[in-house]
Amino acid sequence: MLRFISSVWWNFKEYIILILLLVISFISLSLNQNPAIKKVRAIAFGSFAASTAILSDIVNIAKVKSENERLREINAELMLQVNKLREYGVVNENLRKMIGLKDTLNYPLIPALTVSKSFTIAQGTVTLNAGADNGVKPGMPVINEKGLVGIVYATSKDFSIAKTLKNFELKLVVKDERSRVDGVLKWNGEDLVIVNVPKTYDLEPGDRIICSELSSIVSLPIPIGVVVGLQNVETGIFNSIKIKPYADFSRIENVFVIGVIESKQKNDLELNFFKR
Amino acid sequence: MIRALYIFAIILFFPLLLLQSTLVPLISIVGVIPDLILILLVYFTLRMGQIHGTVLGFIYGFLLDMITGNILGSAMIAKTLSGFVTGYFYNENKLDIYFKSVVFSLIVLLSATIDSFIFSFFSSVELEKSILLRFFEQGMFPGIYTAVISLILVMFHPRRNPF
Repeated sequence: MLRFISSVWWNFKEYIILILLLVISFISLSLNQNPAIKKVRAIAFGSFAASTAILSDIVNIAKVKSENERLREINAELMLQVNKLREYGVVNENLRKMIGLKDTLNYPLIPALTVSKSFTIAQGTVTLNAGADNGVKPGMPVINEKGLVGIVYATSKDFSIAKTLKNFELKLVVKDERSRVDGVLKWNGEDLVIVNVPKTYDLEPGDRIICSELSSIVSLPIPIGVVVGLQNVETGIFNSIKIKPYADFSRIENVFVIGVIESKQKNDLELNFFKR
Repeated sequence: MIRALYIFAIILFFPLLLLQSTLVPLISIVGVIPDLILILLVYFTLRMGQIHGTVLGFIYGFLLDMITGNILGSAMIAKTLSGFVTGYFYNENKLDIYFKSVVFSLIVLLSATIDSFIFSFFSSVELEKSILLRFFEQGMFPGIYTAVISLILVMFHPRRNPF
């Protein structure tokens, strides 16, 4: 018996080791949501992110001049828009006072810089140099001057890791700003699409897409992108709506983390409504 | 000797991962980036053998998954299989032929294609896309880019064995 086992081992040891390691890898797949594993991962990327921050600073120095010019131009456009919005804000404030509505639009912003990126074709993550000590928590949205970039996934003391919209795990309820139609946005490996939208819904190319208040992940009206096309138009009863995001994920550098996460109280209340 | 190679392999992993996450995205072409970690894996597998290459691939995959935020297990499976396949080319007497010719890049092409293709199954939910299309888009193109970058190692490989 021992001789048989020894013979099998010497003849097939490469395959036995391969199968053993693959089994361990498959078991690891099921441990992704384990809290202890998440904690260890947060420590691992936090430690590594400290060193990528140094190299990233050196790389960024080379791009500062062109980035500054681009930012100056954006600043000028934003200044004009802000002036216009200020006027609208004054009118809005007066109208709200007249009908007694509560003002809810003061969101704390935590500035951050991307120190490393991990982009495969369908799983984009970025590491930010703001962590738990800066007030960042998992679930907080990440934006830049153009729109939504992603959601914070894990944090360490000084760093955090965010999954970008180009990540198949992120599914977001979004809204067409014009027609107020809701849908579910996801990344299919090639494009951002709103899936299973009934053909009777009013969505057209050029419509602005924002986060929906129905979302349990991001319920703030943050811009995401613009509708560029409809797919599956002639067959079936659903369309897929292709979205071009406002944020350029290959050039994400300076971002802000919105210091707001979904209210557990609100979610529990809504769940209790459905449990009746 | 093998232990020293393992230590070198782990030590070299971290600076290469640093480059992979900061500088390599700057040279992406249509979202495709080369995999420097895989080039390192192929190099050490050809030096150490199939079993050690498989184990090294497992270690690299584990470290990658822990540090970069991928699904734990995805890179482990992909890199383990790549190390195993690369191990089939292990031959102590042919190291000079491998490291000083295009053969090394061809081995990298095969391993990188397998690695990227397997990894893509954990990254995409578009199951209706044909396997052949997925193989080319998410397997072959990253593999070709990685093989081209590996030519740099072939050009600058020292004449005397550094290990």
